[in-house]
Amino acid sequence: MTLRHWLSFLAASFLAIAGATQVHAQTDPGVTPTTIKIGLFGPLSGPNMPYGFDGLKAAQMWYDKINKEGGINGRKIELAIEDDRCAPDSVVAAVKKLVEQDQVFMLHGGSCSAAVMPAKEYVVRNKIPWVTLNASADGAIYPPTGYIFSGTSLTMHAAGGSVIDFATSYLKAKKIGFINHDDSFGSWNREAADFVAQEKKVELIAQSIEPTITDVTAPLLKVLAGNPDVLVIMTYARPATLIVKKAYELGFDKPIILTQTGSANLEELVQNVGAKDAFKNFYNQDILADVMGGPKIKWVYDMYKQNYPDLAAQPDHPNAFMPYGMVSAMEVVNALKAAGPDLTREKVLAAMSTLKFDTGILGGPIEFRPNDPAGNRRTTYEKFDGVTHQMLPGAYENTWVYQAPK
Amino acid sequence: MNFGTAVVFLEQGIATGVVTGGVYALLAISIVSIFRATGVANFAVGEIFMAGAYIALYLLAIVKVSAWIAIPVTIVAVFVGSAAFQLGVLRTVHKSGGPINLVIATLGLSYLLKGIVRQTGFGETPRSFPSLVPAKPIMFGMAHLTLLDVAILAAAMLIMAGYFLVFGYTRLGRAMRAVGMNQRAAQLVGVNIGRMNTLIWGLSGALSAAAALLIAPKLLVTADMGTVGIMGFAAAIIGGFSSFPGAIIGGFVIGIAENLVGLFIASNAIAVTPFVMIISVLVLRPQGLFGGPQEIKKV
Repeated sequence: MTLRHWLSFLAASFLAIAGATQVHAQTDPGVTPTTIKIGLFGPLSGPNMPYGFDGLKAAQMWYDKINKEGGINGRKIELAIEDDRCAPDSVVAAVKKLVEQDQVFMLHGGSCSAAVMPAKEYVVRNKIPWVTLNASADGAIYPPTGYIFSGTSLTMHAAGGSVIDFATSYLKAKKIGFINHDDSFGSWNREAADFVAQEKKVELIAQSIEPTITDVTAPLLKVLAGNPDVLVIMTYARPATLIVKKAYELGFDKPIILTQTGSANLEELVQNVGAKDAFKNFYNQDILADVMGGPKIKWVYDMYKQNYPDLAAQPDHPNAFMPYGMVSAMEVVNALKAAGPDLTREKVLAAMSTLKFDTGILGGPIEFRPNDPAGNRRTTYEKFDGVTHQMLPGAYENTWVYQAPK
Repeated sequence: MNFGTAVVFLEQGIATGVVTGGVYALLAISIVSIFRATGVANFAVGEIFMAGAYIALYLLAIVKVSAWIAIPVTIVAVFVGSAAFQLGVLRTVHKSGGPINLVIATLGLSYLLKGIVRQTGFGETPRSFPSLVPAKPIMFGMAHLTLLDVAILAAAMLIMAGYFLVFGYTRLGRAMRAVGMNQRAAQLVGVNIGRMNTLIWGLSGALSAAAALLIAPKLLVTADMGTVGIMGFAAAIIGGFSSFPGAIIGGFVIGIAENLVGLFIASNAIAVTPFVMIISVLVLRPQGLFGGPQEIKKV
C-alpha cells in the first residue's frame, strides 16, 4: 500500500469514527430504530404494595395496547421492570439499575412520595426524563428541575388548593375549618390552601396536628370554636377517622370534606368511625371523573379485567390506585409521540413540559406547564352518606403555582 | 380567645385529660411495678399494650367470641406471654449480662411484637375496636364527654384499686413489695425471687392489656399504637419512677397537660408536651414529684 493509499485510508477511518460519534451523540440510550426502553418501577412487594402494584399493572396494559396498535412513531415500547418496595434505598437502587444496567431511555415509576425523594439528585444529574407512576412527589418536583414530572396523583399543593376552591365554589363556605399535619406534606397543602383562601377572600381556621396524635379533641375544638362553615380534614387515614368520629360526638353537623390522603376505602372509614350518621353531610375528594367503577371510567376496569382476569378475581384488586398508573402511562406515551421520530431525551422533556390532553379517566385534563411539573391540579368530589357514592358535577382547581424564592 | 371560650377549653381539657390520664396511669403502674422489682425499664410496655389490643381484636373480629370471653382471655394471654418472656428470655439474659442487656432485651421484644403484627397482615390498616359502651354524649358542665369516656375512667380507677388491694393487703402483694425493697432480705425470709419477678412481669403485662382494652375503642388499632407507651414513661418519670401514687398522679398530669397545651398553646405542641415535662422534671426534680430522696451508695 502506497503512502497515498495509507493517507486515504486514515482519512476515511477518521471520517467514519467522527460520523459514528455524531450519530451516537444524537441517540440517547434506550432507543433503537424499532424500540424505546422504559424503566418502570413501583412497589411490587412489601407492606406498601397496594400503593403501586395495580397502578403498575395498569401502566403495563396501556403500553401493551400501544404496542398492539403499532407502537410510537414505528417503535415498540420495551419495559424493564423493577420492584422499589416504596423504600427510599430500593427506589434509588432501582433507578440506578434501570439507568446504568438496563440503559433505559426514560423512567416511569414511584408510588410513594417520601420514598422517591432520594432518587431526585441522581436523575437530575444524569438528565433522565422521569414521570412518577402515582407518587404526588411535591418534594421531588418543586422547585421544578425540568426532568421530574408528577404523573397522576394530586400533589399535596394541588390537594390543598383545590379543596378550598370546592369549599368556596360548591359549598359557598366563608369560614373554612382546616386540619392538616405538621409535617412537610402538611406544610405543602397548607401553603396552597392559604394561597387559594386569600385569592377567594375566605377565612381559614387551621390547626396542624402530629400524624401520630391519639386524642384529637383539642385541635378539633379549637377549629370548631371559630364556627367554620365546613371542616376540611387533610390528614392520613387514622387521624382522619378520629376527627370524623370526634366531630360526630361533638354534634358537628356542617359539611365535612375529606381529602385524598384521608382514606382509600370509605367503607372501611365508616366501619372504623362506627356511626353511619357521622356521614350525613360528608364529601370526599377524588381525582377521577366518576366513582370507582362508575360508567364514565368503567372501560378502565373492564380493560384491567380483560388483561388480568386472575388478578381481578382476587379481593382488593383492582384497588383505588389502579387507574392512576394508566394515566401516567398515557403521559409518557403522549410525550414520546409529541417528541417525534428523531427521539431524544431533550425533545421528550420539551414535549412533556407543555403536554395537555384529556385522559377520559380524570375529572380534569392533564396539563403540564414549563413552571409546573404537576400534571393534575384539579379534583372532583363525591357525596358519601355512609353507603352510597354520588359523584358531584365539575372539577375544582388549585390556582397555586410555584414561585421561586426572591 | 374570649373568657367564655377559655373556660370551655379549660373544662374540656381537664375532663378529656382525666380520661386519657387514667389509661396513662395504668401504663405507668405497669412500668413502675417492673422497675421496682427488677430495676429494669420495660421499653416494650407500649408494644405489649398493642399486642393486647390485637389479641382482643382477633378474638372479637375473627374468632367472633363475645366480649365477655375475649376480655379475660386477652388479659390471661398477655399475662402468660409477659411472664414467659421474663422466664425464658430475661432470666437467661440476666445470668449473662447486666441491666443494660435486660433493657435491650425489652427493646428487642418491642420490635419483635411489632414485626409479628405487621407480618400477619392484620396490622396494615387501622382497625376499629368494638366498644361495650356506646359513645353517647354526656355534658359535665360545659365539657363534652361520652358514656364510653366515663366507663374508661371508672374501669381504670377500679383496676388501680384492685392492684393496690393486691399489693397492700395480700401475702402475695407483700412478697412482691419485699422483692422491690430488698431482694436479698426478701430471699432470706423465704420469698422466691425468680417466681416473684415472673409474676410481676405477668401482672404488668395484664395491666398493659387492660389499658389497651379500655382505650382501644377510642383509638384505632394499629401496629404503631404502642407509642402510647411513651405517655406511660412520662407519667412514671413525673410521678417518680418508683412510686405507685406518683405514677397515677403523673398519668393524670400528662393527660390534662397535653390537652390544655393543645387547646391554649398549639395543636402541634401536644406531641412534645410529655417530653418537655420529662426534661423539666429530670432537671428540676430528678426523683420525680413523689419519688424518694436520691440514693447515695457508699463505695
